[in-house]
Amino acid sequence: MQHTVSFTHEEKQSSVSVPTGTMLSDAAHLAGVEIGQPCGGQGRCGRCAVLVTDGNVRRRSTLRLSPADVEQGYALACQTVVEGDVLINVPPQEKIERRLTTDRVVAEVTIPADYDFDQHQSIHRVYLELTPPTMEDQTDDWARLQTALRTQANIPEVTCSLHFLQTLGKTLRDGEWQVTLVVDRDMEFPEKPVRLIEVFPGRVDDYSPLWGCAIDIGTTTVSLWLVDLVSGHVRAQVAEYNGQIARGEDVISRIIYSGKAGGEQEMRQLVLDTINELVETACKRVNAKPEDVMKATISGNSTMMHLLLGIPAGSIRLSPFITAVNHPPVMLAKEVGINIHHGGAVDCLPGVASYVGADITAGVLSSGLEHAEHVSLFIDVGTNGEMVLGNRDWLVTCACSAGPAFEGAGVVNGMRATQGAIEEVWINGETFEPTYRVIGGGKPKGICGSGLISLLAEAFLTGVIDKAGNVNLMAGNSRVREGAHGGEYVLAWGAESESGEDIVLTRVDIDNLLRAKAAIYAGFSILADTVGVPLEMADRVLVGGSFGKYINVEKAVQIGLLPDMEWSRFEFLGNTSVKGAYAALLDWRMRDRITEIAKRMTYIELSADNSFYDAFTSALFLPHTDMNKFPSVAAALER
Amino acid sequence: MPIEIPKDKWPGSIKKVTLGATSAEGGTRAKSVTVGGETTLPYLHFEAPTPNKPVIAIEIKSHRPDDWSPLLGEVWGDAMNDPAQWAKKAEEAGADIIVLALTLADSPEDAVRIVKSVLAATGLPLIVWGPGQAEKDNDLLVPIAEATKGEKLMLGICEDKNYRTIVATAMANGHVIQARTPMDVNLAKQLNILITDMGLPADRIMMDPTTGALGYGIEYGYSVMERLRLAALQGDSMTQLPMIVTPGFEAWKAKESKVGDGVPEAWGDWKFRAIHWETLTAVALVESGADIIVLRHPESVKRVKETIEELIAV
Repeated sequence: MQHTVSFTHEEKQSSVSVPTGTMLSDAAHLAGVEIGQPCGGQGRCGRCAVLVTDGNVRRRSTLRLSPADVEQGYALACQTVVEGDVLINVPPQEKIERRLTTDRVVAEVTIPADYDFDQHQSIHRVYLELTPPTMEDQTDDWARLQTALRTQANIPEVTCSLHFLQTLGKTLRDGEWQVTLVVDRDMEFPEKPVRLIEVFPGRVDDYSPLWGCAIDIGTTTVSLWLVDLVSGHVRAQVAEYNGQIARGEDVISRIIYSGKAGGEQEMRQLVLDTINELVETACKRVNAKPEDVMKATISGNSTMMHLLLGIPAGSIRLSPFITAVNHPPVMLAKEVGINIHHGGAVDCLPGVASYVGADITAGVLSSGLEHAEHVSLFIDVGTNGEMVLGNRDWLVTCACSAGPAFEGAGVVNGMRATQGAIEEVWINGETFEPTYRVIGGGKPKGICGSGLISLLAEAFLTGVIDKAGNVNLMAGNSRVREGAHGGEYVLAWGAESESGEDIVLTRVDIDNLLRAKAAIYAGFSILADTVGVPLEMADRVLVGGSFGKYINVEKAVQIGLLPDMEWSRFEFLGNTSVKGAYAALLDWRMRDRITEIAKRMTYIELSADNSFYDAFTSALFLPHTDMNKFPSVAAALER
Repeated sequence: MPIEIPKDKWPGSIKKVTLGATSAEGGTRAKSVTVGGETTLPYLHFEAPTPNKPVIAIEIKSHRPDDWSPLLGEVWGDAMNDPAQWAKKAEEAGADIIVLALTLADSPEDAVRIVKSVLAATGLPLIVWGPGQAEKDNDLLVPIAEATKGEKLMLGICEDKNYRTIVATAMANGHVIQARTPMDVNLAKQLNILITDMGLPADRIMMDPTTGALGYGIEYGYSVMERLRLAALQGDSMTQLPMIVTPGFEAWKAKESKVGDGVPEAWGDWKFRAIHWETLTAVALVESGADIIVLRHPESVKRVKETIEELIAV
């Protein structure tokens, strides 16, 4: 149903027609009225307070408003949904600055301010003008090229592939002895031989793009950034479910599968297919070809790295949990099987242990934890939850298995955070009727990770489910019903959904989500206990992970996924693994720092300690068995 | 040189729970039984007295069970065919409370009738257990709770996946709830939170932390109970509930008690062993702080009662 929302702001009037459930802040944006949301629209700063002078709205949260404010009609624009025609007065005293709206799909990327292609990048172009051969100068093509490299580019020693030699002669002649080489040189040890990757006829514009890609192989999601190495710009960001999911949802079942006859090869091929498709998609977006990509820097957990390289991963699973390799050497794309330029370098970033891989070392780099003055906590929430506690002096880390629920997998109506995913949910506590927001605004197809967190929190706060996650079937409401696997809640009826089927949250889904959040909370509470630092002492909580950027802190705290502390101490960083890989792809110094981080981290094996199970069952409740740990949630329940 | 024994003073204490209501209290019981109220660890008399000593409940079934040990059949005899008779004999054997366990074969009407017959046959407070299948439990316990409004029965067994219906009917009809969780401190606490969230006061809930028989995990059950009690005394309100345990059920499940044939000769006399098994299981749990001990054999009842008297007297 459409409603008219009319705004009065600085004596100007404007109005807009929006559907039921539209957030006031969104309606204001559509109407061209600027309402600042310094806290990012999470209802925690109270600076978007507006006066509802007439009509129906529903306040999801009034955390920063006094009962008297609400009585007068004040509402937080970022926490209030439209339920009828309304008149809104935007208080003039607010100096509202325009803030950049963040693009859901494309994470913001800042090119490192000091990035200098010539100084920091290992992939370079070298333009050479060779003296053509004559009857008198019978030097062979290869020696002629080496001479030119020595004299014109100060490169005394080189190596190349057979393929390079096979194409060299023709290219030299096609270019009339003027060629541009793409080379890979070790910037840290310049005396090492330079590897010639490709030769192009003629002079290639210095500023034309030279492609590289940063890849994060997640257990559930593979993300790829296509980067112009010359400018440092990320030109395309793509992501897809890891093709290995069909062979097991978590690393353990993947390892088991890969141990079967032919399993290793199959797993390797599945992830290569996913990566190669992503390379192709990304290249298409920028009008390039996969063979134009000269380098790939790969991050991912240790199991994913082993499976990608076809290295037996069995020992990761079995005590004493040892990897075959934590830090693979740089390899060639052709060897690895990634369809970029076959001579392109594939750089797999170093990990720490079986369950703390390159995704975490890269994440620590991009989170800035290694420079933190005060103790901070870095959490990477994915299929595995890994956490690092520390500062510039020390870093301790542990890992626990959360399952793929927060990435929308392993949940009946789960999906990735793409078009059609329900990303946020509110439930009316009396009627159990939901309001939801869909990415892209169309009909819902499913629920993504942030939507699941939001749904779980709302269902809990409104009594749709109890603290143990049981669906309240006694409520006598059509939204809750007995499903095939116990109680379920209907979030969207078939008539509203894309597929025509009901979108539901089942008891099994709830259990999966509870286990996932309990594992993560238990992980960092154990980590804090181990070093004797109370969790509350953490100065900042840096949250990475594929949903990290979009997660609603309030909801995440309400379900007990994140510790209950002031929201200002949380920072959401998005996919820190791919960001770290990007930094390493661009700059050899960053690459070195990741190696240093890997060496500095102390790994704590949770299975060596029986306290984890206790912490886990204690967290297997909404928000937690020990309510004292969640005062803000206790207060919300009081309301 | 005189030694001064250090005394602990705990911030928390165990709630008191009363089962059964006399006519003055709106029921028909000859007396009610109150358990709980502890302010320190079990039987540390130098720190604090034990306000209510542990009590014994004897378990009877609505129909003669065919899976019980012949030793139990021998001792209860024909009384097992009639729950009312059985309850009367159990009272004579020293029970403070009767536990009536219903079976899947009972219809709601039968169940109500049997409960009423047991109430008529004895003046002891009554605990009623459903057959242990969520839907059936609810079908039987709701009419029973309604038909015995005011008697302050204890209804069981609530578990985290099935508690709402039983708690709701207990609230409406003035009964007490038995909340069972599988040997875990956190799970016990969680179920208590769920039940009190529905509005049932904590003094109408008893925790059943589950136990294992001697040789079948009793150490684990013991330590969970000890940890629950420590948490309670330290002030965690959601663990401050008295505990009911079922060593009779556990011990008579064990091969050592259940069967006499085909076991090693070194195991010795069957009856001697079986009663020891139940008694030892029960006594360990008494020492870990159990408030109601549910037993099956009259001889075990006698021995456990003697032990309790001695513990209290020291």
